[in-house]
Amino acid sequence: MNAAPGIPAAQLTGRHKADETSPVRIAVKDLNFYYGSFHGLKSVNLNFHDRQVTALIGPSGCGKSTLLRTFNRIYSLYPEQRAEGEILLDGQNVLDPKIDLNELRSRIGMVFQKPTPFPMSIYDNVAFGLRLYEKLPKADLDVRVEESLRKAALWDEVKDKLKQSGMGLSGGQQQRLCIARTVAQRPEVILFDEPTSALDPISTGRIEELIEQLRSEFTIVIVTHNMQQAARISQFTAFMYLGELVEFGPTTRIFMNPEKRQTQDYITGRFG
Amino acid sequence: MAALTDQIALTRTGASVRKKPGGIGDSLFRAASYGSAILVLLVLAGILASIAYGAWPAFETFGFGFITSSVWNIGQEQYGAFVAIVGTLASAFLALLIGVPLSLGIAVYLTQLCPGWARKPVSMTIELLASVPSIIYGMWGLFVFAPLFARFVQVPVSNLVEGMPIVGTLFYARVPSGVGILTAGFILAIMIVPFVASITRDMLDQIPTVLRESAYGIGCTTWEVVRHVLVPQASVSIIGAIMLGLGRALGETMAVTFVIGNANRLSGSVFDPGSTIASRIANEFNEADGLQLNSLMALGCILFVITFFVLIIARLLTRRAKVA
Repeated sequence: MNAAPGIPAAQLTGRHKADETSPVRIAVKDLNFYYGSFHGLKSVNLNFHDRQVTALIGPSGCGKSTLLRTFNRIYSLYPEQRAEGEILLDGQNVLDPKIDLNELRSRIGMVFQKPTPFPMSIYDNVAFGLRLYEKLPKADLDVRVEESLRKAALWDEVKDKLKQSGMGLSGGQQQRLCIARTVAQRPEVILFDEPTSALDPISTGRIEELIEQLRSEFTIVIVTHNMQQAARISQFTAFMYLGELVEFGPTTRIFMNPEKRQTQDYITGRFG
Repeated sequence: MAALTDQIALTRTGASVRKKPGGIGDSLFRAASYGSAILVLLVLAGILASIAYGAWPAFETFGFGFITSSVWNIGQEQYGAFVAIVGTLASAFLALLIGVPLSLGIAVYLTQLCPGWARKPVSMTIELLASVPSIIYGMWGLFVFAPLFARFVQVPVSNLVEGMPIVGTLFYARVPSGVGILTAGFILAIMIVPFVASITRDMLDQIPTVLRESAYGIGCTTWEVVRHVLVPQASVSIIGAIMLGLGRALGETMAVTFVIGNANRLSGSVFDPGSTIASRIANEFNEADGLQLNSLMALGCILFVITFFVLIIARLLTRRAKVA
């Protein structure tokens, strides 16, 4: 089979080599998900490797965002939604009703489709999450805020206006602020739910670079409807269709040499 | 094809029943709608002008002292608005103090905590509160609430705080009758809750889901999400809603007249009777003439100015919120 058109082979080699020996950070076992009576995810089994970027791709409504939203149980804000099965984060079942949800969400950060700065200063946006879980003296807090903004490649742009509102930044800056806010909590996993869908190409490029850098510290799962993006930034790719996991593997193999017909059709643009 | 075009052309010219624009109907309609719009302005201006005209003798006689004097003596024809102004502001302030936290609580419950099936009925009940005529609140306040309030709050609290500094004045009832500034504040609070609560609920509903989810997503509890993200996000509109409630509390007449006690006395205690501008007017307009009537008119002017400014501030705030 041929490589997906529009995705240069160079994008699929080199630094994007998947490390299949990396330990499993999240293990999804026989996961079923229901929106009321609608069966949104059907017996999904999938492993996410430590410090690798895993992209979830598939046509709209295939369940990729749904899967992402089970990891930090953000779906549980909505009583009609429920998940069955197991999601093991370092061996601990996230779906266990006894788990402390707030603590879980500080361990699994999430970045959304649209930038969501909180109505407070740039500094407080980053410090807010930190203050929830750590009692730090002011000096340490300053250090952590700077460190997080640097990691989000935003420090140089905002260091002189930390007291200004986060709402005044551009869309791309706001999204990086949200990434800084997530990174500040030192989570183990960061979930990205179509993080660049509301951004222009240049901001998108910066976010992609950022994700590549963050990979050295965090396990990253990204939902994207943009196949080129998946090819550019991920080491592993999972292709989903109609609530089922169709195919999972190293990104290079999924894009160069998919095993399933549906995957081949999707990445060559025959549907979706 | 050509035949079809011809046919269409024929029907258009032949069967047109449309009148030319600019006929008599159009200009009549135009005049009527202009007229209705101007009429509203004329009515408002007329009311204002006549009240100001009627109030003029009072302002002329007492000068600025009308606002600062607390004397209201019909026998000696001495009138001052101070007690009524203070009573108006104090009862409205107490209403906000009680009503606003309650309204925010209701709005947060409805938008964040309430199970789906309960949302509609609770919302509707709150909105029904707004449709209860104010005289009902007044009657209920005087005949039901006031006696209970006197017996179970005023008497025990007065006994408790008697002789203490500050609270001993603030919460001491010389005559525990149940009516007074605080009672009026309670009744007004119940009356403004539907407004403030439903506007706040709508504003909280307008906040994008992703913002709420991302606040939960960094591990906030519901309280932290509401306190640090949702309420600040909607703060400007919430303040606008509060100002609308304030406007209503300032002008409310019937319910307040029932429960405020209608005394022209300046007291340090929230349990003591007082009066508001509206209640003073309602009580005295019937038998007033001469300078007393002029003074009531002057009270009306003052109330109008106060509510006018409150409403302008409310408008400005809610408009700014919509643009943002």
